[in-house]
Amino acid sequence: MLENYLPILIFIGIGLVIGMAALIIGALIGPHKPDAEKNSPYECGFPAFEDTRLPFDVRYYLVAILFIIFDLETAFLFPWAVVLHKIGLYGFLAMMVFLGLLTIGFIYEWKKGALEWQ
Amino acid sequence: MNLAQIFTDLVFFSFAAILVGSALMTIISRNPVRSALFLVLAFFAATGLWILLEVEFLGLILILVYVGAVMTLFLFVVMTLNIDVEEQRSSFVRYLPFAIVIVAMLVILMVYVISPGHLNPSELTTTGGQPVNYSNTTELGMVLYTDYAYPFELAGILLLVAIIAAISLTFHGKGNNKTQNPDQQILIRREDRIRMVKMQGDKK
Repeated sequence: MLENYLPILIFIGIGLVIGMAALIIGALIGPHKPDAEKNSPYECGFPAFEDTRLPFDVRYYLVAILFIIFDLETAFLFPWAVVLHKIGLYGFLAMMVFLGLLTIGFIYEWKKGALEWQ
Repeated sequence: MNLAQIFTDLVFFSFAAILVGSALMTIISRNPVRSALFLVLAFFAATGLWILLEVEFLGLILILVYVGAVMTLFLFVVMTLNIDVEEQRSSFVRYLPFAIVIVAMLVILMVYVISPGHLNPSELTTTGGQPVNYSNTTELGMVLYTDYAYPFELAGILLLVAIIAAISLTFHGKGNNKTQNPDQQILIRREDRIRMVKMQGDKK
């Protein structure tokens, strides 16, 4: 079975080589003459007001965690779809109950308004 | 030991080295965003190891769920918390006792699991034994929705609880919703907005 993954391994190798070669060649050949003015942050001629790394609103977290939950749901759907014709009605109903549970959650978040961007 | 076995071992050790190295960089890197990205690299290396163990579905799920979604969440959390690097440096000594306790517990657990009588390395199945058309996804699907249907439904309930918990913890209602309401916008009539006022014009 592992021989099926050999092309992917080769792709990973080629990708690593190409990606790193560009960076390494650039670092080796490119001119590198830093000074205080070049290294200072530039913001249209005036000193920077604040740090670039502003804290995000916690609402992004809600969107991200809801995304993860439905991402996991699709992860469960995938092997089910592969073997659907073998596991029969029982397996089909097991997935329908699972999807029903998540649909309850989906209706809850929809009705609660958590999906609306404010 | 034939050539394919040597090659597999070589791939295993390179993935294992990347995994250990990036895990180390995750904990010693000063910048939290950088350590999160090293954790992504660690997940990729772990995927390589899992595929070498011929559990391809779990390996691909590791990329799909952990790299694709959980790491996004980690980065969001890092951005939300606005961690100050200087402050982190000063609190290193303060958190050291807790760190030592947790690491000691982990080491004791690992030694206990690997000790003889619990998990004998020689009893584990070796890699490279499966035929070309072996599909781990099919094998998993055959048992997950039939033999393990009850734990599977429990997983569904856990996800439902996670949805409700996330909403009740971070969502504070539709309070200051500043979005436009297109229904009301297109139903507006001229009479609702404009009032004509007759004024006495200035006389010349």
